Amino acid sequence: MRVSCFQENLSKGLSIVGRAVSSRSTLPVLGNILLEAKDDQLRLAATNLEIGVNCWIGAHIEDEGAITVPARLLTEFVNSLQPGKIEMELSVRTQTLHLRCGNFDVNIKGIDAQEFPVIPTVDNGDGPEETAEALEGRTIALETAGLTKMIDQVVFAAATDESRPTLTGVEVTFAKERLALAATDGYRLSVRSIEVEEAFTDDLAVVVPARHLSELGRIIVDAEDERPVQVTVTQARNQILFRVWGKGGETRGAFHQVDLVSQLIADRFPDYRAIIPKGHNTRTVVGTDAFLQAVRVAQLFARDNANIVRLKIEPNGDSGVGNLHLTASSAEMGNSKNELDAMVEGDDLEIDFDVRYLIAVLSQIDEEQVVLETTQSNRPGTIRPLGLGDEEFLHVVMPMHPPR
Amino acid sequence: MVRKILHFDLDAFYCAVEELRRPELKGTPFAVGGRPESRGVVSSCSYAARQFGIRSAMGMAQAVRLCPELRVLPPDMREYGRISGQVMEILHSVTPLVEQLSIDEAFLEVTERPEYASELAKMVQSQVKRRLGLPSSLGVATNKLVAKIATDVGKAAVRTGDYPMAVQVVPPGRETEFLAPLPVDALWGVGPRTRERLAARGIHKVSDLLAASAEELAQQFGKLGRDLRRQAQGLDQRPIVTEREAKSISQETTFAQDVVDTETLRRVLRQQAAQVGGRLRRGGLAARTVSLKLRWTDFSTQTRQTTPSQPVDDEEDICRIALELLASNRREGAPVRLIGVGCSGLVPAVKQMSIFDMAADPEARAREDQLNEAVKALRKRFGADAIRRGSDL
Repeated sequence: MRVSCFQENLSKGLSIVGRAVSSRSTLPVLGNILLEAKDDQLRLAATNLEIGVNCWIGAHIEDEGAITVPARLLTEFVNSLQPGKIEMELSVRTQTLHLRCGNFDVNIKGIDAQEFPVIPTVDNGDGPEETAEALEGRTIALETAGLTKMIDQVVFAAATDESRPTLTGVEVTFAKERLALAATDGYRLSVRSIEVEEAFTDDLAVVVPARHLSELGRIIVDAEDERPVQVTVTQARNQILFRVWGKGGETRGAFHQVDLVSQLIADRFPDYRAIIPKGHNTRTVVGTDAFLQAVRVAQLFARDNANIVRLKIEPNGDSGVGNLHLTASSAEMGNSKNELDAMVEGDDLEIDFDVRYLIAVLSQIDEEQVVLETTQSNRPGTIRPLGLGDEEFLHVVMPMHPPR
Repeated sequence: MVRKILHFDLDAFYCAVEELRRPELKGTPFAVGGRPESRGVVSSCSYAARQFGIRSAMGMAQAVRLCPELRVLPPDMREYGRISGQVMEILHSVTPLVEQLSIDEAFLEVTERPEYASELAKMVQSQVKRRLGLPSSLGVATNKLVAKIATDVGKAAVRTGDYPMAVQVVPPGRETEFLAPLPVDALWGVGPRTRERLAARGIHKVSDLLAASAEELAQQFGKLGRDLRRQAQGLDQRPIVTEREAKSISQETTFAQDVVDTETLRRVLRQQAAQVGGRLRRGGLAARTVSLKLRWTDFSTQTRQTTPSQPVDDEEDICRIALELLASNRREGAPVRLIGVGCSGLVPAVKQMSIFDMAADPEARAREDQLNEAVKALRKRFGADAIRRGSDL
């Protein structure tokens, strides 16, 4: 193998596949990144057997070939270099990769590419020619625009502890011409949906690990906006593949194509629709930034006291303006009070929330105003951006309440 | 800085509450407590009853012997707890630094208030009397130790057969002088046995403690000896510990006579759980751990505790756990000298609700909410006793 490419492109590619590298595995080769030179492209690949990522970047190939090298060493070396051309040459006999850039000259010992697991892919005719096994399944196309935002608005609500594996996932539902993402850790629920142009022939719901979806969101940031993301779900419904097209050859720091393959979570996702409140007693409209600033200040005092922030909602008075009071206190540190103007329709209410949950959802709302709908102090509250319907973005958060 | 500490103590609290409900009791000898025929104990007795030599913690049978016309009323802990809460609210309006010692007793630190401490004491006393109709006595001093003793001295000085309503002030710098003539058992930590041991060495009054050599005291009484000397000098720097900062809340009862009857023990535990639960609620707290303290006839003390899966703040939960601990740690018929319930591992009484609690059975939840709201409304309108769980009857 003899190949040359730009440092910027290689660095970008390594950052994309790097997250799939297994940090602690009994299989040493899973700590490596595969480099494969073929058809004027350099393929980088990594997998921890739950997620696999292939990334193709532009390269000048003199001799085809493949090798795996330790991910961390290669990544840190490449990131230490100035932008410019990197030449790589593989010594097959010693399985050592020789890299040359500027006046640096390094040799990195690798493991035979034959030992690297096969990362499944799909062959739809317009990708690079595949050597790997192709997935059997159905494929649709998704607009990239807004997809990252959509993912960000949902994944944070997923559980991070593994006690209920299905809650570490995001339910991805394709129903008619609508794509919906939903995640819940048992204390809050985020649901985001959009209309899509292309639909699967029949409705489909799968549970994708939230952190894999986060990776997809990161990758899409650098995608070519004009070309939709291809989504393929295997017939056995055990894997999902996202194919993202990059800005390709001319742009420095870009990739041609990324395939992300994720195992799906087999367990059924809980029926969250049952807990979405059907009505409300109080509807509060408040400025998103002011609300976010207020909860951030409240957190300074709440973190010593079980993260409780108390919201006191007062309906519109004669002036036509209501109030949203936020208080947080800690026996040791002191307390904070904040009063926001708000449009409040309905009953007054005092309700306690975990301040971190409010920060998390408000941070994900770009719209100027948010709507908070509540019924009583031991009932869920819903938060959504003003102007978007429940259909599009809905966050449900359970309050904190005295037991019983 | 010289501190200003008030010790507040309601006068014959249970009796005063009963008098408010039944004015005909006024001026008559009566007591609140267990029935004489079931080895009951006097929890509280009217000042008219005290003229007969009746004291709290005395066996009710003995009390009736001393005063045959004594009326005996069963305690109504819920009502006492409710009214105690109102009293504590008045105290909290004076200063946030309130350390509640029991259902009818508290320390207040008023150092930051510009008024004279004695004026504040009279104001508290008159507010509690005016707003709730309850008599109280206060001790005023520069620390908790002297303030509490001052209350006792102030109350004891009144021998009218009516509520003492005393305010006893110990001015700064006069602590030693004030304590000197008192018997040693006025100090904390001096029970009958220590009193006897001290008396054996010629120490009867607090002034005797000062006269005794410090080394000798330390040698013979160890830590207690050193502590008693400090107390005799009127020294005490302990801060006010408010409910929110408290590490534990407990309530215990020493019986005048060892109790064998399990039902009596269970009843006392229930009352204690109600008091502890009430204090947790007022502090907005829940407890991770509930403990039961038992002292046997040989003075050995046993503490057993349970940590339920969720923190508890409900008197019924506390009571249930305490009763379980009693059942599993006491042989039926074993006589008990002291029994107590404690709550520790205090946390704010809120928990993050789960979505799935709702999803499980939304209708059942809604029904339970409705029930709770209805019970709350009834209690608000007709008092805490208007409605109870069937299991409590």
